[in-house]
Amino acid sequence: MVRAKSKLIEIDRKSESTTNTPQSAASVRGLSKRFGKSSVLENISFDVAEGEALVLLGASGSGKTTILRIIAGLEQPYTGKVILHGRDVTELPARERGVGVIFQSYALFPKMNVEKNIGYGLRIRKRKRREIRETVDHLLELVQLQEHRKKFPSQLSGGQQQRVAIARTLAYKPEVLLFDEPFGALDTQTRVHLRREIRALLRKVNVPAIFITHDQEEALELGDRVAVLNNGHIEQIGTPYEIYNRPATEYVATFLGAANILEGVVRGNYLEVAGSKLPAVLDREKFRDGDCVKIVFRPEDVVATKGDLLRSGAHRISSGIVDEVTFIGAYERLRVRLATSVDECKTQEEPFYLTTETPERRPSTSISITRSKPEANTLRLSTGDRITLALTSFTVLPIPRKPQSRA
Amino acid sequence: MRHVRGFDVVRPLSIGMLILMMLPLVFLPLLSIFVFGTRNGLGTFWNALVAPEAVFALKLSMATSFWATVFNVLFGLFASYVLSRYHFWGRNALIVTISLPTAIPTAVAGFALLLLWGPYGVLGRFLAPHGIQLMFTAGAIILANIFVTFPLAFGVIKPVFDTMNRSLEEASATIGATRWQTFWHVTLPSLRGAIVSGALLTFARAVGEFGSTILVSGNLAGRTQTAPLYIFAKFNEGQIEAANAIAIVLALFSFLIFSVLFFARDWLDVD
Repeated sequence: MVRAKSKLIEIDRKSESTTNTPQSAASVRGLSKRFGKSSVLENISFDVAEGEALVLLGASGSGKTTILRIIAGLEQPYTGKVILHGRDVTELPARERGVGVIFQSYALFPKMNVEKNIGYGLRIRKRKRREIRETVDHLLELVQLQEHRKKFPSQLSGGQQQRVAIARTLAYKPEVLLFDEPFGALDTQTRVHLRREIRALLRKVNVPAIFITHDQEEALELGDRVAVLNNGHIEQIGTPYEIYNRPATEYVATFLGAANILEGVVRGNYLEVAGSKLPAVLDREKFRDGDCVKIVFRPEDVVATKGDLLRSGAHRISSGIVDEVTFIGAYERLRVRLATSVDECKTQEEPFYLTTETPERRPSTSISITRSKPEANTLRLSTGDRITLALTSFTVLPIPRKPQSRA
Repeated sequence: MRHVRGFDVVRPLSIGMLILMMLPLVFLPLLSIFVFGTRNGLGTFWNALVAPEAVFALKLSMATSFWATVFNVLFGLFASYVLSRYHFWGRNALIVTISLPTAIPTAVAGFALLLLWGPYGVLGRFLAPHGIQLMFTAGAIILANIFVTFPLAFGVIKPVFDTMNRSLEEASATIGATRWQTFWHVTLPSLRGAIVSGALLTFARAVGEFGSTILVSGNLAGRTQTAPLYIFAKFNEGQIEAANAIAIVLALFSFLIFSVLFFARDWLDVD
């Protein structure tokens, strides 16, 4: 939390200096929103560059929809600003902002056919009939719906309707495209197909886009950058690679797919975890000797071996006993109980000691491991097997001093 | 033999019983209008129909019902818009009040209008000295029609408003439309079916209105006598043929309106 806040301020400072640079197509500054007494958004700031796709990722109730509606002008912020291409639009009504919103329900006008829907923005702008026809023709070609131009929305599939919705907003050359859970109503196959299509389309038209979604896979694939939202604030903002592999908070780590979390203690250039020493280069300003930390790693970051022979780059953490082997199509998932306990931090004031109790008598910690097919085939494992566990990559997160703050 | 075993006796019996019950209650009364009306030949029927007073009564009914319908549809649209968009204190009280006129006996409605606008009425007494007389005119008939059909169009339009997807209007706004453009291009087309049904219902009900009309119109033949009043008057005078001719027209007219409402339902509800 503390880290996330300090990070936010960092981002704030960074972006303030770049507010007026031409590459920022859309930015929000210090956005907050309240409904009654409860705060929905707290000090939200981010920038979207020209042609960039930013994904706001969060669970329902995290405030992502509210941010989108505020940018669109459908809701007013309590504090903060919305800036589109250097113009402060916070006080402007939705119709004067020139943003394109693709609603989850598509919101196509049911009594207008595809052509009429796409041309709507130009018709109400009183453009010449010829200009409207040319634009509509061009957009129909772009979204590949030429043969459906006379159809009504109810006669189109979900994917086609969404393409009409996008074309309808592109017709008036929006400053930014806002996608509200764009694939929520579609089945998995169409969804994957469609998001590749939209990604390609956005590259073609070079319009900045903000997506909101609760689907982490979607976020990682669609976004040039991803902002992870939790309870109305941004936990972390970064490239998909950064937020997946270097999560700034425990929330980010666990929200983006499965994550194992073990507690450890900082000892010089090492971390003491489950009785083993893990070499780690740590930021001396953030971590001091004796500090308790969390070690976060993905199930695919763990290497399981039967002997003590480790491959280079992997660091041993513990040995464990396989509790469960599950086959999940593309890979295999193991549930492994650690043989050594990881309670160094439970009694922070007491000095570190070695216990003589057998591992079985103490509460055990389990972690989850995934292995690819080749790996699983090289070393077959079954329930009850004793294995050595090593990490190829991990992230270290500080534990706030107050013990209550652990959720 | 298998089809005999599967034969459901209840089916033809229940259908037969339904028709049997409707026979004396609905079918026979309607049928007798046509039987009596054409008993003396179509010539008599036609003569009764084109009598100046009869034609006037029919025209007056249509005209007064038309204006009452126009008003109530516009009002219904406006009231639906306000009451489904905004939530405010007293909103439910307003909804109940709008719906009230259908529950009030029509004679009471007519009486109430008289007490308000009549020469000695609450407001009428201030108008009378200026020579303004609202009661016993076509205007009074329109007022009575508006009152008794007040909630009909509203009742059809409001549910459609309530269930309408708000993101359609939001989409229109973000595309750049003003509130009026959004209403005209997006909201109104979605209400087309409800507006047509509401108008037909209101019109059908207004054409047949009797109880309130007889009180406020004065029932002056050739001046304020509507079709239902004409039927009543001619019946009292013993001119059964004259009453019957108009009765046939009104019955056919209602039949037509409700057929449209029933069979054009798909067209009216297209999304």
